Amino acid sequence: MKQTVLYKIVHLRHSYRTGFSLEIPHLTISKSSSLGIVGPNGSGKSTLLRLLAFLQKADSGKIYFDGSWREWGDPGCRLKVTLLCQEPYLLRRSVFNNVSYGLKVRGEKRNLTGRVHNAMRLVGISPEKFSHRRWFELSRGEAQRVALASRLVIDPQVLLLDEPTANIDRKSSLMIRKAIEKVRESFHTTVVITSHDPVWLHDIADEILRMHDGRIAGSGTDNIIEGPWVPDHDGLWTKVLPDGQKIRAMKPPLERAPGVLSSTNIMISTRKPVEISAQNVLSGVVRQIIPVADSERMQLEVHVGGVPFSCSVTRYAVRALDLLPGKEVWVIFKASSVQWQ
Amino acid sequence: MGYIGEGILKALKLLLSGDPETYSAILTTLKVSSLSISTSLIMGIPPGFVLGYYDFPGRKQLRAFVDTLLALPTVVVGLFVYALISKRGPLGNLGLLFTIPGIAVAQTILILPIVVSLTATAVSQLDMRFKDTVLTLGAGKRKVALSAIFESRYGVGAAAISAYSRAISEVGASMMIGGNIKWHTRTITTAIALETGKGDFGMGIALGIVLLLFAFIVNWVVQLLKRKKV
Repeated sequence: MKQTVLYKIVHLRHSYRTGFSLEIPHLTISKSSSLGIVGPNGSGKSTLLRLLAFLQKADSGKIYFDGSWREWGDPGCRLKVTLLCQEPYLLRRSVFNNVSYGLKVRGEKRNLTGRVHNAMRLVGISPEKFSHRRWFELSRGEAQRVALASRLVIDPQVLLLDEPTANIDRKSSLMIRKAIEKVRESFHTTVVITSHDPVWLHDIADEILRMHDGRIAGSGTDNIIEGPWVPDHDGLWTKVLPDGQKIRAMKPPLERAPGVLSSTNIMISTRKPVEISAQNVLSGVVRQIIPVADSERMQLEVHVGGVPFSCSVTRYAVRALDLLPGKEVWVIFKASSVQWQ
Repeated sequence: MGYIGEGILKALKLLLSGDPETYSAILTTLKVSSLSISTSLIMGIPPGFVLGYYDFPGRKQLRAFVDTLLALPTVVVGLFVYALISKRGPLGNLGLLFTIPGIAVAQTILILPIVVSLTATAVSQLDMRFKDTVLTLGAGKRKVALSAIFESRYGVGAAAISAYSRAISEVGASMMIGGNIKWHTRTITTAIALETGKGDFGMGIALGIVLLLFAFIVNWVVQLLKRKKV
């Protein structure tokens, strides 16, 4: 099926006084797709979402939406795109009036109560029990779900979610996932989600991007190895992990350059290999095994000296090696597999 | 001390018997203060919102100027308005001197800085996430402004109540502009000043009780709003 481009970002750049800058030379987001963005705090995820929501003016670059170049604050776009922030703000009014706000500002009064109640049910908030509750009479998870309902009720073309499940209870997290799946299925809503939770994101996103230091640093399954790198023998450079193990790579462009290691370039062994050409044989422990939707592959999270490594393995390998969380394994990759941006 | 006791006794009699002169002063006070508070709210909330919400060059200086006006002496306002609306003044042909609307003009000038300043404070204390939230829910500029005032409603309400308290307790401007005319422009405060001067403590105390009652109701509403704010 041919995918239509909804967002096209060209040479987008935005800097802050702190010195941090977001730089995205090119990025496209397809209509009705679900894009996940992972990355550490301060990597630029939230800034990117604010720019996609037309809430913030970029220093330079262009964002094309639905085929046309749109400037920040474009009122037409803001009616189609909505953003749910990590710490949502509820208006100082009842739950019902919070959820109905978006409809009222659009002047959509037809079947208002029915639509508000449907949105509330979608996120698992009972209209009978919660409609009259005030903004401060909710738990954190309930407040997050009310904030999501107030975005879903307006049937947005694009739903941008910034860490929607951070610091909330398991039930709320599950309800939010179900609601997102439902709107994607029913209304073909385009969804862009940032999250720290890879399991949650793998379940919901078609594609995952990884952000690092204001740039897109490969797909979500790539590993970012931060510097500093120090020169070693044979022209190789080394990064020392907290437990003393060393990662070897080819010469980096800068001492502090982050290396990108694709999860598909990592091999896993349950025994320490001997007489092997790969320069990196690191001892680690399996922490998580994440099934990849519609794929024969599984994503393995292995902690090496406290640093998580994402490794892509087949379901067969998981069974054959009897891989389970807690199992000690060896993580193997070539020095040349560590790429520089 | 006997005359104070007699005064209180007379005050109760005046209030309970529905003495027309006492109730005329109360009614005039309510008319004047209602007129001045509604005008000052209509005129003061929009600039208060702009001062509290937007960042523009000279905002701090403007805010400092408005805050200075909070300490405007009532007699200075009385003098200023008198000069404007007296027969020889530029607005003399409006015939406002010694009328209820005339007193309301003076009171409006007096309480306008309170409405502007406290509205600006309430709006500036809005959560940083408010604007992003309403924008991302599709609100246009006008809706953002109206929602900001609605979100700050407890603060704006407190501003209105503070302004109202100042209006009903004000005496200097009411005396100068209204002329303290019996059955016409005599308010509670001007009546108390006059009756005390005459040595008629009964009516002074009766009106004082009503004024305290108003102050109590106003404070009770403020407390109620504070509790609701949580």
